[in-house]
Amino acid sequence: MNCNKTRVLMSCALDCELSAREEEEFLKHLAECPECAAEFTEAKKTKMIIREKIVRVKAPQSLVESILRLGTHTNPQAEGSLLFDQL
Amino acid sequence: MVQGNIPGKELKPVMDTNEFSEKKKPRTGRNTLSREELKKQQEFQQEAVTHINSLYNYALHLTMNPDDAENLVQETYLKAYKFFNSFERGTNCKAWLFKILKNNYINRFRKNSREPGKVDYDLIKDFYHSIKDVRSDTSEAESDYFHSLMHEEVYQALQSLPEEFREVIQLCDIEGFTYEEIANMVESPIGTVRSRLYRGRKLLRAQLETYARKYGFNTDSEE
Ligand SMILES: [Zn+2]
Repeated sequence: MNCNKTRVLMSCALDCELSAREEEEFLKHLAECPECAAEFTEAKKTKMIIREKIVRVKAPQSLVESILRLGTHTNPQAEGSLLFDQL
Repeated sequence: MVQGNIPGKELKPVMDTNEFSEKKKPRTGRNTLSREELKKQQEFQQEAVTHINSLYNYALHLTMNPDDAENLVQETYLKAYKFFNSFERGTNCKAWLFKILKNNYINRFRKNSREPGKVDYDLIKDFYHSIKDVRSDTSEAESDYFHSLMHEEVYQALQSLPEEFREVIQLCDIEGFTYEEIANMVESPIGTVRSRLYRGRKLLRAQLETYARKYGFNTDSEE
Protein backbone atom coordinates (compact mmCIF):
# COMPACT_ATOMS: atom_id res chain seq x y z
CA MET A 1 0.00 0.00 0.00
CA ASN A 2 1.32 3.44 -0.88
CA CYS A 3 0.87 6.78 0.88
CA ASN A 4 -2.01 7.95 -1.28
CA LYS A 5 -4.08 4.86 -0.73
CA THR A 6 -3.28 4.99 2.96
CA ARG A 7 -4.52 8.58 3.25
CA VAL A 8 -7.72 7.71 1.50
CA LEU A 9 -8.36 4.86 3.89
CA MET A 10 -7.53 6.88 6.96
CA SER A 11 -11.09 7.92 7.76
CA CYS A 12 -12.29 4.36 7.34
CA ALA A 13 -9.56 3.10 9.62
CA LEU A 14 -10.65 5.57 12.29
CA ASP A 15 -14.20 4.33 12.10
CA CYS A 16 -13.35 0.63 12.02
CA GLU A 17 -14.75 0.41 8.53
CA LEU A 18 -11.80 -1.35 6.89
CA SER A 19 -11.97 -4.91 5.76
CA ALA A 20 -9.61 -7.26 7.58
CA ARG A 21 -7.30 -7.28 4.61
CA GLU A 22 -7.31 -3.52 4.15
CA GLU A 23 -6.59 -3.10 7.81
CA GLU A 24 -3.61 -5.39 7.70
CA GLU A 25 -2.09 -3.50 4.77
CA PHE A 26 -2.94 -0.19 6.34
CA LEU A 27 -1.20 -1.01 9.60
CA LYS A 28 1.76 -2.39 7.76
CA HIS A 29 2.17 0.88 5.89
CA LEU A 30 1.86 2.93 9.08
CA ALA A 31 4.63 0.89 10.64
CA GLU A 32 6.89 1.75 7.75
CA CYS A 33 5.92 5.34 7.08
CA PRO A 34 6.33 7.98 9.80
CA GLU A 35 4.45 10.63 7.79
CA CYS A 36 1.33 8.56 7.46
CA ALA A 37 1.62 7.42 11.06
CA ALA A 38 1.74 11.06 12.18
CA GLU A 39 -1.21 11.93 10.01
CA PHE A 40 -3.17 9.07 11.49
CA THR A 41 -2.45 10.29 15.00
CA GLU A 42 -3.78 13.71 14.06
CA ALA A 43 -6.83 12.21 12.44
CA LYS A 44 -7.59 10.24 15.57
CA LYS A 45 -7.39 13.42 17.61
CA THR A 46 -9.84 15.15 15.34
CA LYS A 47 -12.37 12.44 15.87
CA MET A 48 -11.75 12.41 19.58
CA ILE A 49 -12.17 16.16 19.94
CA ILE A 50 -15.56 16.03 18.29
CA ARG A 51 -16.72 13.25 20.54
CA GLU A 52 -15.39 14.98 23.58
CA LYS A 53 -16.29 18.61 23.07
CA ILE A 54 -19.63 18.53 21.42
CA VAL A 55 -22.07 18.83 24.27
CA ARG A 56 -24.97 16.43 24.55
CA VAL A 57 -28.11 17.56 26.24
CA LYS A 58 -31.13 15.68 27.47
CA ALA A 59 -34.45 16.11 25.78
CA PRO A 60 -36.81 18.24 27.91
CA GLN A 61 -38.97 16.17 30.22
CA SER A 62 -42.15 17.68 28.84
CA LEU A 63 -41.19 16.48 25.38
CA VAL A 64 -40.41 12.98 26.60
CA GLU A 65 -43.74 12.78 28.36
CA SER A 66 -45.68 13.95 25.39
CA ILE A 67 -43.96 11.36 23.18
CA LEU A 68 -44.71 8.64 25.69
CA ARG A 69 -48.39 9.53 25.45
CA LEU A 70 -48.47 8.85 21.73
CA GLY A 71 -51.18 6.42 20.86
CA THR A 72 -53.02 6.76 24.12
CA HIS A 73 -55.53 9.27 22.72
CA THR A 74 -54.76 11.77 25.41
CA ASN A 75 -53.00 13.97 22.93
CA PRO A 76 -55.50 14.53 20.13
CA GLN A 77 -54.29 17.98 19.09
CA ALA A 78 -50.79 16.75 18.56
CA GLU A 79 -51.92 13.91 16.37
CA GLY A 80 -54.16 16.25 14.48
CA SER A 81 -51.27 18.51 13.73
CA LEU A 82 -49.43 15.93 11.72
CA LEU A 83 -49.25 17.76 8.46
CA PHE A 84 -46.18 16.32 6.87
CA ASP A 85 -46.94 13.04 5.36
CA GLN A 86 -44.03 12.23 3.15
CA LEU A 87 -41.48 9.97 4.77
CA MET B 1 -59.49 5.62 15.78
CA VAL B 2 -59.97 2.84 18.26
CA GLN B 3 -62.60 3.89 20.71
CA GLY B 4 -63.87 0.70 22.20
CA ASN B 5 -66.34 -0.76 19.79
CA ILE B 6 -64.42 -3.70 18.47
CA PRO B 7 -66.51 -6.82 18.70
CA GLY B 8 -65.01 -9.80 20.40
CA LYS B 9 -62.15 -7.89 21.91
CA GLU B 10 -61.88 -7.16 25.53
CA LEU B 11 -60.60 -3.67 26.00
CA LYS B 12 -58.37 -2.91 28.87
CA PRO B 13 -57.57 0.38 30.42
CA VAL B 14 -54.06 1.55 29.68
CA MET B 15 -53.10 1.57 33.33
CA ASP B 16 -53.11 -2.18 33.67
CA THR B 17 -50.18 -2.85 31.42
CA ASN B 18 -48.52 0.37 30.51
CA GLU B 19 -45.30 0.82 32.42
CA PHE B 20 -45.26 4.55 31.77
CA SER B 21 -48.69 5.12 33.15
CA GLU B 22 -47.95 6.41 36.59
CA LYS B 23 -48.40 9.99 35.44
CA LYS B 24 -51.77 9.44 33.91
CA LYS B 25 -55.03 10.38 35.45
CA PRO B 26 -57.58 7.72 36.26
CA ARG B 27 -59.47 7.11 33.12
CA THR B 28 -62.87 6.29 31.88
CA GLY B 29 -63.86 3.98 29.08
CA ARG B 30 -63.00 6.65 26.57
CA ASN B 31 -59.30 6.15 27.09
CA THR B 32 -58.96 2.50 26.38
CA LEU B 33 -56.83 0.86 23.75
CA SER B 34 -57.18 -2.29 21.76
CA ARG B 35 -54.60 -4.94 22.52
CA GLU B 36 -53.09 -4.42 19.15
CA GLU B 37 -52.67 -0.74 19.70
CA LEU B 38 -51.31 -1.35 23.15
CA LYS B 39 -48.75 -3.74 21.78
CA LYS B 40 -47.75 -1.24 19.14
CA GLN B 41 -47.40 1.44 21.74
CA GLN B 42 -45.18 -0.66 23.96
CA GLU B 43 -43.00 -1.75 21.12
CA PHE B 44 -42.74 1.83 19.96
CA GLN B 45 -41.60 2.94 23.36
CA GLN B 46 -38.93 0.26 23.51
CA GLU B 47 -37.68 0.63 19.97
CA ALA B 48 -38.15 4.29 19.22
CA VAL B 49 -38.58 6.42 22.29
CA THR B 50 -35.26 5.24 23.72
CA HIS B 51 -33.52 7.35 21.07
CA ILE B 52 -35.17 10.59 22.05
CA ASN B 53 -32.03 12.24 23.43
CA SER B 54 -30.05 11.54 20.30
CA LEU B 55 -32.84 12.87 18.14
CA TYR B 56 -33.19 15.97 20.24
CA ASN B 57 -29.48 16.70 19.97
CA TYR B 58 -29.52 16.15 16.25
CA ALA B 59 -32.48 18.49 15.94
CA LEU B 60 -30.68 21.10 18.01
CA HIS B 61 -27.67 20.91 15.76
CA LEU B 62 -29.84 21.33 12.72
CA THR B 63 -32.06 24.14 13.96
CA MET B 64 -29.90 25.87 16.56
CA ASN B 65 -33.04 26.64 18.46
CA PRO B 66 -34.53 24.67 21.37
CA ASP B 67 -38.16 25.38 20.45
CA ASP B 68 -37.70 24.38 16.85
CA ALA B 69 -35.79 21.30 17.95
CA GLU B 70 -38.61 20.29 20.22
CA ASN B 71 -41.18 20.72 17.48
CA LEU B 72 -39.07 18.78 15.07
CA VAL B 73 -38.67 15.87 17.45
CA GLN B 74 -42.36 15.94 18.25
CA GLU B 75 -43.28 15.77 14.58
CA THR B 76 -40.76 13.07 13.94
CA TYR B 77 -42.26 10.84 16.60
CA LEU B 78 -45.79 11.53 15.48
CA LYS B 79 -44.90 10.49 12.00
CA ALA B 80 -42.85 7.53 13.18
CA TYR B 81 -45.73 6.31 15.30
CA LYS B 82 -48.11 6.66 12.43
CA PHE B 83 -45.85 4.68 10.13
CA PHE B 84 -44.46 2.34 12.75
CA ASN B 85 -46.10 -0.66 11.15
CA SER B 86 -44.01 -0.10 8.04
CA PHE B 87 -40.77 0.07 9.99
CA GLU B 88 -38.77 -2.99 9.09
CA ARG B 89 -38.24 -4.87 12.32
CA GLY B 90 -34.66 -5.82 13.05
CA THR B 91 -33.21 -2.85 11.18
CA ASN B 92 -31.77 0.15 12.94
CA CYS B 93 -34.64 2.12 14.38
CA LYS B 94 -32.44 5.04 15.34
CA ALA B 95 -31.30 5.41 11.72
CA TRP B 96 -34.90 5.27 10.58
CA LEU B 97 -35.89 8.02 13.01
CA PHE B 98 -32.97 10.18 11.99
CA LYS B 99 -34.01 9.93 8.41
CA ILE B 100 -37.54 10.99 9.20
CA LEU B 101 -36.27 13.89 11.26
CA LYS B 102 -33.94 15.02 8.53
CA ASN B 103 -36.75 14.98 5.98
CA ASN B 104 -39.01 16.91 8.30
CA TYR B 105 -36.30 19.43 8.81
CA ILE B 106 -35.78 19.92 5.09
CA ASN B 107 -39.47 20.28 4.45
CA ARG B 108 -40.17 22.56 7.25
CA PHE B 109 -37.20 24.69 8.15
CA ARG B 110 -34.50 24.83 5.64
CA LYS B 111 -36.50 26.24 2.79
CA ASN B 112 -37.46 29.36 4.67
CA SER B 113 -35.13 30.21 7.45
CA ARG B 114 -31.47 29.46 7.58
CA GLU B 115 -29.46 29.63 4.40
CA PRO B 116 -27.29 26.58 3.94
CA GLY B 117 -23.72 27.11 5.01
CA LYS B 118 -24.41 30.35 6.79
CA VAL B 119 -23.47 30.28 10.42
CA ASP B 120 -24.97 32.54 12.99
CA TYR B 121 -22.25 32.79 15.60
CA ASP B 122 -24.35 34.77 18.01
CA LEU B 123 -26.91 32.04 17.93
CA ILE B 124 -24.25 29.48 18.73
CA LYS B 125 -23.05 31.55 21.65
CA ASP B 126 -26.55 31.93 23.00
CA PHE B 127 -27.20 28.30 22.51
CA TYR B 128 -24.10 27.29 24.42
CA HIS B 129 -24.83 29.81 27.07
CA SER B 130 -28.28 28.34 27.58
CA ILE B 131 -27.00 24.81 28.01
CA LYS B 132 -23.83 25.63 29.88
CA ASP B 133 -25.06 24.06 33.07
CA VAL B 134 -25.34 20.61 31.65
CA ARG B 135 -21.99 20.40 29.96
CA SER B 136 -19.78 17.70 31.28
CA ASP B 137 -16.08 17.67 30.77
CA THR B 138 -14.46 14.36 30.30
CA SER B 139 -10.92 15.10 31.25
CA GLU B 140 -8.29 13.34 29.28
CA ALA B 141 -4.99 13.04 31.01
CA GLU B 142 -3.09 13.95 27.92
CA SER B 143 -2.55 17.66 27.47
CA ASP B 144 -2.30 19.06 23.99
CA TYR B 145 -3.92 21.81 22.06
CA PHE B 146 -7.17 20.02 21.49
CA HIS B 147 -7.88 19.97 25.17
CA SER B 148 -7.55 23.72 25.41
CA LEU B 149 -10.20 24.33 22.82
CA MET B 150 -13.51 25.55 24.07
CA HIS B 151 -16.69 23.67 23.38
CA GLU B 152 -17.98 26.66 21.44
CA GLU B 153 -14.91 26.72 19.27
CA VAL B 154 -15.20 23.11 18.31
CA TYR B 155 -18.85 23.63 17.66
CA GLN B 156 -18.19 26.65 15.49
CA ALA B 157 -15.52 24.80 13.57
CA LEU B 158 -17.99 22.03 12.89
CA GLN B 159 -20.73 24.45 11.93
CA SER B 160 -18.43 26.27 9.55
CA LEU B 161 -18.08 23.21 7.34
CA PRO B 162 -20.25 22.88 4.27
CA GLU B 163 -23.35 20.97 5.22
CA GLU B 164 -22.55 17.82 3.27
CA PHE B 165 -19.35 17.38 5.26
CA ARG B 166 -20.73 18.45 8.59
CA GLU B 167 -23.59 16.06 8.30
CA VAL B 168 -21.52 12.92 7.78
CA ILE B 169 -19.15 13.88 10.58
CA GLN B 170 -22.05 14.38 12.93
CA LEU B 171 -23.68 11.12 12.03
CA CYS B 172 -20.44 9.21 12.26
CA ASP B 173 -18.55 10.75 15.16
CA ILE B 174 -21.35 11.98 17.35
CA GLU B 175 -24.06 9.44 16.67
CA GLY B 176 -21.90 6.46 15.84
CA PHE B 177 -23.73 5.29 12.74
CA THR B 178 -21.99 2.91 10.36
CA TYR B 179 -21.08 4.00 6.85
CA GLU B 180 -23.86 1.88 5.48
CA GLU B 181 -26.43 3.55 7.70
CA ILE B 182 -25.11 6.98 6.84
CA ALA B 183 -25.14 6.20 3.13
CA ASN B 184 -28.77 5.27 3.50
CA MET B 185 -29.61 8.41 5.42
CA VAL B 186 -27.93 10.85 3.09
CA GLU B 187 -28.99 8.84 0.04
CA SER B 188 -25.51 8.52 -1.42
CA PRO B 189 -23.19 5.59 -2.09
CA ILE B 190 -20.82 4.43 0.63
CA GLY B 191 -17.88 5.64 -1.45
CA THR B 192 -19.29 9.15 -1.26
CA VAL B 193 -19.66 8.90 2.50
CA ARG B 194 -16.07 7.76 2.75
CA SER B 195 -14.72 10.64 0.75
CA ARG B 196 -16.90 13.24 2.46
CA LEU B 197 -15.66 12.07 5.82
CA TYR B 198 -12.10 12.18 4.62
CA ARG B 199 -12.36 15.67 3.17
CA GLY B 200 -14.61 16.99 5.90
CA ARG B 201 -12.23 15.92 8.62
CA LYS B 202 -9.36 17.57 6.82
CA LEU B 203 -11.25 20.84 6.68
CA LEU B 204 -12.29 20.50 10.27
CA ARG B 205 -8.77 19.93 11.42
CA ALA B 206 -7.57 23.02 9.61
CA GLN B 207 -10.29 25.01 11.39
CA LEU B 208 -9.43 23.59 14.79
CA GLU B 209 -5.80 24.39 14.26
CA THR B 210 -6.54 28.04 13.65
CA TYR B 211 -8.28 28.14 17.02
CA ALA B 212 -5.44 26.26 18.64
CA ARG B 213 -2.89 28.77 17.38
CA LYS B 214 -4.73 31.38 19.33
CA TYR B 215 -3.63 29.58 22.47
CA GLY B 216 -0.05 29.59 21.32
CA PHE B 217 0.18 25.93 20.50
CA ASN B 218 2.46 24.89 17.73
CA THR B 219 0.20 22.65 15.73
CA ASP B 220 2.76 21.48 13.23
CA SER B 221 2.57 18.22 15.00
CA GLU B 222 5.69 16.85 16.47
CA GLU B 223 5.04 14.25 19.10
ZN1 LIG C 1 2.90 6.83 3.87
